[in-house]
Amino acid sequence: MYLQSRRTFLKGAAFSVAGVAIAKGVFSTDAVAESITESKFTDTPDSILFYPEVKEWDNFAELDGTDWKRGGIGRHGVKSAENPEGIEVNNFMIVPTVCSNCEAGCGLTAWVNKDTMTVRKYMGNPLHTGSRGRNCAKGYAVTSQMYDPDRIPFPLKRAPGSKRGEGKWIRTSWDEAMETIGKKMHDTLKVGDEMSKKLMIYHVGRPNENGFGHRVPHSMGIDGFDSHTNICSAGARQGTIQWANDDRNSPDWANADLILLQSSHAADAGHYFQQSAGNIADARKRGAKMIVIDPRMSNSAGMADLWIPAWPGTEAALYLYLTNRLLNEKSKNGSDLVAHDFVKEWVNWDRLMDNKDYLQKMIGYGYISKMPKDDSYESFIELAKELYAPYTKEMVVRECKLEGMEYKLDQLWEMFVDGGSKIATYLWRAGPIGHRGGWMNTRAGFLPLALVGAMRGDIGGVGLHHWHEISVAGKGDKATVAGERPAKVDVWNEIAWPPEYPLSSYEMSHLMPHLLMDTEWQQKWIKKGLNVPTKLAVWFPRMYNPVWINPDGFRWIEALKDETKVELSFNLSPTWSETNWYCDYILPVGLAGERNDQQSTPSKPEQRIEFRQAVLRVAAEKMGWKAKDPTRATLEAHMKYGLGEIWEESEFFPNLMVHHVDKDGSLGIRKHWASKKDPSRAVTVPEYFDAAMSLLPRLKETAERMYKDEEFPVYSYMRDHGAWTEKTNVYKPQEEELKFDGQNYFAHGKKHPKSEVRKDKFGTLWIEEDDRQHSIGIEINGELHEGFHTLSKKLEFFSEWFAEWKWPEYAIPIYPRNEGEYKKMEHIVTQVHHSMMKGDNEFALNTIFRLPYNIHTRSVNSKHLMEISQNHNPVWIYTKDAEKLGIKRGDAIRVNITDTVSGLDSGYFVAMAVPTEATRPGVLACSHHAGRWKLKNSVNIPGFEHALGIMGVGAPKYDMTNDGKIGTLKPVEGIKPRHDVWQFKEYNKDLDNIWWDGLSGAWQNAVAATHSDPIAGNHAWHQKVVIEKAKADDKIGDISVNYENNFKVYQAWRDKLTRPLEVGDKLRRPQHIKRPAVPLSNKAYAIEIKA
Amino acid sequence: MQDDLKNEQLARVNIYALISRILMNEVDEKLLKLILKDENILSFFPEFQKWDKRKKMSNKDLIEKELNVDFTNLFLLHLIPYESFYIREDQQMETGGDNPVQMLYNDFDFRVELDEARVMSADHIGVELEFMYKLCEAEYKALEDGEETIAAEIAEMQYNFLKNHLVEWAPMYLLNVKSEAGTAFYFDAADLAIEFILSDFEYLTELKNSEFSYKAKTGDNNGY
Repeated sequence: MYLQSRRTFLKGAAFSVAGVAIAKGVFSTDAVAESITESKFTDTPDSILFYPEVKEWDNFAELDGTDWKRGGIGRHGVKSAENPEGIEVNNFMIVPTVCSNCEAGCGLTAWVNKDTMTVRKYMGNPLHTGSRGRNCAKGYAVTSQMYDPDRIPFPLKRAPGSKRGEGKWIRTSWDEAMETIGKKMHDTLKVGDEMSKKLMIYHVGRPNENGFGHRVPHSMGIDGFDSHTNICSAGARQGTIQWANDDRNSPDWANADLILLQSSHAADAGHYFQQSAGNIADARKRGAKMIVIDPRMSNSAGMADLWIPAWPGTEAALYLYLTNRLLNEKSKNGSDLVAHDFVKEWVNWDRLMDNKDYLQKMIGYGYISKMPKDDSYESFIELAKELYAPYTKEMVVRECKLEGMEYKLDQLWEMFVDGGSKIATYLWRAGPIGHRGGWMNTRAGFLPLALVGAMRGDIGGVGLHHWHEISVAGKGDKATVAGERPAKVDVWNEIAWPPEYPLSSYEMSHLMPHLLMDTEWQQKWIKKGLNVPTKLAVWFPRMYNPVWINPDGFRWIEALKDETKVELSFNLSPTWSETNWYCDYILPVGLAGERNDQQSTPSKPEQRIEFRQAVLRVAAEKMGWKAKDPTRATLEAHMKYGLGEIWEESEFFPNLMVHHVDKDGSLGIRKHWASKKDPSRAVTVPEYFDAAMSLLPRLKETAERMYKDEEFPVYSYMRDHGAWTEKTNVYKPQEEELKFDGQNYFAHGKKHPKSEVRKDKFGTLWIEEDDRQHSIGIEINGELHEGFHTLSKKLEFFSEWFAEWKWPEYAIPIYPRNEGEYKKMEHIVTQVHHSMMKGDNEFALNTIFRLPYNIHTRSVNSKHLMEISQNHNPVWIYTKDAEKLGIKRGDAIRVNITDTVSGLDSGYFVAMAVPTEATRPGVLACSHHAGRWKLKNSVNIPGFEHALGIMGVGAPKYDMTNDGKIGTLKPVEGIKPRHDVWQFKEYNKDLDNIWWDGLSGAWQNAVAATHSDPIAGNHAWHQKVVIEKAKADDKIGDISVNYENNFKVYQAWRDKLTRPLEVGDKLRRPQHIKRPAVPLSNKAYAIEIKA
Repeated sequence: MQDDLKNEQLARVNIYALISRILMNEVDEKLLKLILKDENILSFFPEFQKWDKRKKMSNKDLIEKELNVDFTNLFLLHLIPYESFYIREDQQMETGGDNPVQMLYNDFDFRVELDEARVMSADHIGVELEFMYKLCEAEYKALEDGEETIAAEIAEMQYNFLKNHLVEWAPMYLLNVKSEAGTAFYFDAADLAIEFILSDFEYLTELKNSEFSYKAKTGDNNGY
């Protein structure tokens, strides 16, 4: 009946109801359309700008993100009085800050909703030239950390009458805490003797700032600082100190032709991960090759052009193999592969050739067969050829256990030669910190790079850290009454710097509990005339969780619980942590958008600073709010805008010092923290950081031009922009001309009359200052240069001072050449060397690889990061190894840790095995960055209506036993969906959707005994393990630790391997190398040891 | 406005409203009741009128056991009631803002609430028919206000929309519905829709040929 009469349809006019009553009505009203026309929003922008221009940051309207699920303005229009159902518009103030979730310090912007004064999201900061507006998962997780449902809302104090670790807490105030803590500090310092200056230790985890923390003990005149560095990266630093007297290298990834990574950190987890990874990706897009040397196939290794799974701890042999070939082979066109122009001018071969005693020693060690015929460069090259000739392909295949992978060594060689001087590397963490002698990774690794000229620090090569970093956070002195830096400290704290480890890269912080409890050790050195502390009056960690992350965690628990060893403790901690549990106070401090810090990260060849800010304070102040007390503005803002009683150090410490530690100024501390503008109060954040950051001349000039009406122009500039790049293209500064006007030399801002400058036969210029010799520059081929940071002003192939400090056999890059030398050179042979693995069930355990989503304590309760990190930490085992042992995917295995120095067993942890081709034969992998625990799900605070949840998103509940000798931990309850959220509900609406139980690995750190490298001092993380299938009652997550044995392991490594200071030694440590963190006087360095 | 023209327009408004509603969502009891009690509407459903099951079942059962089952088959599961599926060579649907029909609505300041419509994209048959309903309603109001020029512009929009969209694909889809229908109701509804769309396109073509002169159209009322 097609095309029926149209007339039929006229019946439609006679419907009993009108069409409007029938139609569904899915088209919306005209108000919607008008709302769009009248707004600035469109579905079809001309361009997509990720970030608005800075001029819009104070007042930026943006459509609400969640509403886009409804279809955006195309369907709903913009919310207005006429169109109440439209998409909501947020009125944002965009406040720049800096991420604090790892060391990279990537720029962030906090998008503060001006109506609710809440941060709706964190994005990147496009003005930060390192991170370039980008962030990793951790950066975007800051919102979930800020509005963590288990955020500690106010200062907590151990309940009177309870013991540390009982978990009984009361609410206290910042004022009470400051009064109690301040009095204890005051009373300790008031005694005024040497010991009083050793009894307090400020223990800093990831600092993420450049110097403010050091200023705290420095201003108090104490040697009282512990960093986490000796469990982190101190091995790599030791090798760099010997080469360049610098802390680490600093590659130019983006311009390199070869990216050489030992371990994968720079490209897929850290250091400076997100920024480095971006630059590495840029280089590879341009055609650069990438080599990853790592026993584990990391994400980077999987994407690399070449993966070399060398046996962990043997990599130095690989580098010396490259050295051998560079010295003894020619390029395809017949020319030398060594960049002689660079090596001859900038490597200290001349001092080696001049040191006949040492050359004789080299003959004695069997390094060379005869004395060189003369002191010439050519003779040095001949010496080097002989020295490194034993590192053949056959040798390195055997040593690195690369049988069947010989072709990879050929590929490595080809790529290395093709890279020329444009090879960028960052030898960091995993290799150097995993092993005894791990520092030789950097020592040996930089040698082939020096030979090809990559260490010149030119475009695409390897620069040095201090070229690219600006540290001014400790230098806001001009804003204080004192107006100048505090004086050098006169004492030496043996708890941080024991005499067995004079060359330790950083403090022996991982031994703090051991040294405090080792009365035998204390008495030994007291008898030898040292004034060794036997306790601490105050121990105050900041954003640090040593109980969990340090090796031998039960020893930490024992020491921290002992009130005769640690009289008072407080943790400045943004989250709950295992360490908090054993402190007297938990003082809740800020995260990325709640702190005030100057940071500088050397992630590329430029000099840049970034400014972390308390964004709610900044937003409120820019909107006209004024704090009642300007020295506590951050705390007041956080309380006013509902974040809780969250404070931070740059306001806390000045107030603590001025009003509590040194109220009357009699201790000489107050003047360093009292405001110059108003001496009755502490210095404020704008005052202090304006003074500190004004030390950058270009920044100062720009800021004063842009903010001429502001009281603190530099502070204001950084407040509004968050980052500043002072200098770009910082390459080979050692070649900068040393200024000389005919009468005076000018070095590091000082003038030195010609008559006071001595030039030695190697061209190095010396002055005498502070009763010792300092080098200020070098003359090469008649030209004056600033030189490297070493004493010789050149890169030091031969570390003369190191030889003098008791380790002559390792004063040049070297590695055992055959099995006979393993014992002789045991200090640089890894404790997990393959020669130590006897049975099919014995393995090297690779513990140190970062998980890119979850590396630090403070991220434990970020639901965003927790959700993506669950069950990601099994034990990787090579498939054939697993087959031999009958281990299948998902099996629970016991991993028994055993020490190869003392022969003692430490206990075991139970973990899930995953057989995989992604770890090499004989080597297991299990990151030590997982396995968080808690003993209670929540605590009740008297007088406070809500129970405070403890790591409710990130850590399961465990049962613990420990009797002073054996400690155990067993998981009893996983985390569950949450319905009890009482704070930040708007941000935690999805917490009823927790599907994970939180059990992501065992607390293996507690099982691990401390292995202090006898030279670099760092804990050597890797462990020899013996594995077996789990017993019937074992559960993944279980640990059992013989920490009495672990104590003996610490002693064995100390007593069998170190070369302690002894009678006749006059100094605690070489004075020319860095001695973190407070400047010490000659008096502090001086030592006299009794027989 | 003359009565003839008024009836004509009113009929168009109401029939577009009716078929858009039926082809967009499941029938509910209110709508079924309206259809059954309004003989003018029911007259468009000749097979349904005769259908035994309709007579034996309660409205609720009829909806739940027959009509909704058929709707699910014809509109959700087995047939694809979207223009882009019929027009695109790859037979993909365009559910985002790039859907050309969505863009056309946007150009006329019409916004579709897809969540309200419970459809995947703006080129659903029910939505396109409701768009025609909105245009017819606007044309009717313009004629009521004596704004013939505006009404003519709206009529031209209708012509273009039918020509470029509905006529291009809806008959194909509706023939499929007729062929697949398991109930007399949706057989009739599809038949009604095809007939009306084609008839209306013929009407609008004639109107266009008269340069949208309503007077000429009403003066020559023999076509129906």
